[in-house]
Amino acid sequence: MNSPLYQYGAFGEGTSLLVAVVIGLFFGFFLERGGLGNPHKLTGVFYLTDFTVPKVMFTAMLVAAAGVYLLSDLGLMDIGKMWIVPTFFWPQIVGGFVFGIGYVLSGYCPGTSVAALASGRLDALFAMAGMGAGSLLFAVLYPWLEGFYLSSNMDELTIPKVMGLNHWTVLAALCVIAVVMFALMERYERRE
Amino acid sequence: MKKKQKFWSPYVAGIGLGLTLLAAFYIMGRGLGASSAFSVTAAVATRAVNPEYAGSLKYFAKYLGLESPLKDWIVFEIAGLFIGALVGAILSGSFRFTFDKGAHTGGITRLGSALSGGALIGFASRLARGCTSGVALSGGAQLAVSGWIFVIAMFIGGFISAAIFRRLWP
Repeated sequence: MNSPLYQYGAFGEGTSLLVAVVIGLFFGFFLERGGLGNPHKLTGVFYLTDFTVPKVMFTAMLVAAAGVYLLSDLGLMDIGKMWIVPTFFWPQIVGGFVFGIGYVLSGYCPGTSVAALASGRLDALFAMAGMGAGSLLFAVLYPWLEGFYLSSNMDELTIPKVMGLNHWTVLAALCVIAVVMFALMERYERRE
Repeated sequence: MKKKQKFWSPYVAGIGLGLTLLAAFYIMGRGLGASSAFSVTAAVATRAVNPEYAGSLKYFAKYLGLESPLKDWIVFEIAGLFIGALVGAILSGSFRFTFDKGAHTGGITRLGSALSGGALIGFASRLARGCTSGVALSGGAQLAVSGWIFVIAMFIGGFISAAIFRRLWP
């Protein structure tokens, strides 16, 4: 077991930044090719006109999840060295909700706004400026927000841990939900 | 209603994106991200305008305490994202300078919606510790609770605001 490669010292910080650019290249390429540089497609799910976002997003999540747990179970990757996105329950519920409003208004999320600019959409520049301003606003208000920001810390909590289930059981259930969801979306889109 | 598709099937793009995310996990032990690049940039820009004020902001200390804050993994990943999307747009012939907006939306309204929506996203991403890339996609793939509660809350917020701003995009 010698991965995650960076955690096991396969290369240094300078190389890690090169890796960042290469991974970013693929990230941007697939976002653009999936249509996620286009605000009409990005907001379509909320207007029930285009379900590209959930299709791309859930496919990507499930592919990566299956890959991570497969590599881990085969002893090829030390999942304990992976940085798990920590859960802060209420800040993430409120943050996600406000994010959804901003997403519909601006037509983008942070990564897709960059992909949109790269496809020539100049309105994305204003969304990006807004994102910078919103980050500054958070930093300015931080002394008043800190208590809430640090509340309901649940650390590296995962769904398999919460439910006391094997990760493959959870993944299989999520796959069934995704396939049913995709089928309904395809049927709905064909009817349109 | 269906025009000739100039994009890939969303499932194919999703598999590509998933494999990219898996590569990030395997090589770097971390997922993808995006919003923190805007936060770092905002901190550096604030310092350029008013170093004293930027130094007084506790939240920005984690960036500005570093020797070179922009030498950051996510900032470099976003630079790659831009190039990758540019390549995709040019190769497929979909690159075009536009000021994109809904069919019934005026230019000033669009400017305001982009700015205000962006500001809400910037703020919310800090509160949630990431965005659709860092929390939803990466956390979701780790089956982390964070990723899935963020996605659910985001969809609720999105559907409610689409019901309010009914003519913004369609």
